[in-house]
Amino acid sequence: MEKPVAKDPGFYIMVLIGLLIMFGAPIWFDLFAIMQVTQYVVLSVYALSLAYIWGFGGILSFGQSCFFGLGAYTFAVSSINIGETTFPFILSFVLPAAFGAALGYFMFYGRLSDVYLGVVTMVVTLIFWKIINHTAGPEYSIGDARLGGFNGIPSIPILNMPGDPDAWLDPAQMFKFFMFLLIVVYIGLRVLIASDFGRVSVGIRENETRSSLLGYDVRRHKVIIFAIGSGIAGMAGAMWATYQTFIDPNAFSLEMSAKALIWVMAGGVGTLAGPILGVILLQWLSLKLGTLQFLNNFVILGAILMVLVLALPRGLVPSVKHWALTGWEMFRRRERAAPPAKEVTSDV
Amino acid sequence: MSDADDHKVIRTTGLTMRFGGVTAVDHVDFALNEGELRCLLGPNGAGKSTFFKCLTGQLTPTEGVVEFRGQPITGWLTHDIVKLGIGIKTQVPNLFNGLSAYENVRLSARRKHLAPMARQKAEEMLEKCGVTDLAKREVGLLAHGQRQLVELAMVLAGEPSLVLLDEPAAGMTGDERDRLARLVLELSRNASVIVVEHDMAFIRQIAKQVTVFNRGAIFREAPIDEIMRDRAVQEIYLGKQADVAA
Repeated sequence: MEKPVAKDPGFYIMVLIGLLIMFGAPIWFDLFAIMQVTQYVVLSVYALSLAYIWGFGGILSFGQSCFFGLGAYTFAVSSINIGETTFPFILSFVLPAAFGAALGYFMFYGRLSDVYLGVVTMVVTLIFWKIINHTAGPEYSIGDARLGGFNGIPSIPILNMPGDPDAWLDPAQMFKFFMFLLIVVYIGLRVLIASDFGRVSVGIRENETRSSLLGYDVRRHKVIIFAIGSGIAGMAGAMWATYQTFIDPNAFSLEMSAKALIWVMAGGVGTLAGPILGVILLQWLSLKLGTLQFLNNFVILGAILMVLVLALPRGLVPSVKHWALTGWEMFRRRERAAPPAKEVTSDV
Repeated sequence: MSDADDHKVIRTTGLTMRFGGVTAVDHVDFALNEGELRCLLGPNGAGKSTFFKCLTGQLTPTEGVVEFRGQPITGWLTHDIVKLGIGIKTQVPNLFNGLSAYENVRLSARRKHLAPMARQKAEEMLEKCGVTDLAKREVGLLAHGQRQLVELAMVLAGEPSLVLLDEPAAGMTGDERDRLARLVLELSRNASVIVVEHDMAFIRQIAKQVTVFNRGAIFREAPIDEIMRDRAVQEIYLGKQADVAA
């Protein structure tokens, strides 16, 4: 049975680790390492968006990058036009969430089965990718922002303090803010999952027919879940755009969608900590393997993923949790079976 | 609407369900009185479960009308039908396999009650169905009969005024079946109940009025004793050699 958030020590441990990294990393690490960790943080938020809709709503989207890219371009275009980043950052959540709700409405109210849902999300992503790739000419501008086609949009503003467009965040401040957002998204999702809405969502994941037979509108729940996930992915896109100060159509690519699926699968579907761990582990591996000369790093990474999926089909976090519980249970059984220790009286 | 109609909880008129060239339910006119317990009998393929699914919105009938207390509900979605106060237990137990028995029942109670009351209701229903000791167990790991009882607890937790049970005794042990019979009889004091069932021993324990289906249509509608003596019913349902007196 799912523990209430307030009674789950794992929740406090995760938040504590997050706060420790948030305040400790700028002291312990150099600038390059901080920027590297910032990347992991942004991608973790993106991974959480899919972890929520897949793991807790049973919606397997093959096109999560659609919302990631939409958020990134929304932020880029609006911040270039407005000249500050607070409103564009909020818009980068709202617009993908609204688009997710609209797309979700047609998919879920149209009663698409899981397979077709996967195909539709993938096709919508490809359409965005294709369209954005063909916007290279000067006629493809929104206000002052040229979309740039396959060249992307350069010089995207760095996040500024709310209300003060000239007070840009330095890399350490940006890292702290992004860590704060990751913690907020994690806490928010944990609370949401533990709420009645979240429990019904999990019920829908487990058995849609029974959920309807209890009187719950499965379609409405799924649209809301999908919209929340889309909004979070959009926000991650904006974080990515401002972190790189550049965005190109690859934000919409299938590779970006596949990465999210792999992180969630490797870390553990149905958990929130797992996908974060998946991002850190696999991105770090990717980085390290990229420096190898003797073998293509994608081959090694692919092999590692295959082994991971075959050996730990439930993912890292659920498997480790299972081993720990089994070990603890065995230890307790052995303790109970052992004869009571004799009382020893000391001669000293 | 006539006076007689006022007392009908559910009524179907000319209800027909075709799958391509096969007519699974053929112009069925059926009515259930307020507070009545009705058993639906019939051999395999008689159309009982398809009829049941048409009532619950799991299938949209090809022709005909379904009314709940005079209100047409033909083609309504299942969750909207359930909200009218109908509790449904399907042929194959439909549960949230990854959740505990308690959580399953609580989710049902929560739709009608606030959280503290839903908790209380869930505990109450688990106890009523004799599965309190299974409260913390994952329902996906339970035996079939236990799953049936948990599902029944879920149905009861929704406090329905009409309960539709499709083969509730399937896979149950003798003790579990006796408990179920007592529960259904108790339930029928406060709600109208339709039970689709094969198990004759169970039907004898609970039934008064019985509707027999054959080839998608209503074949007989009579009290249980009459049905048991009916030669034609024996031939289509029990087989010619059946010992009906048993």
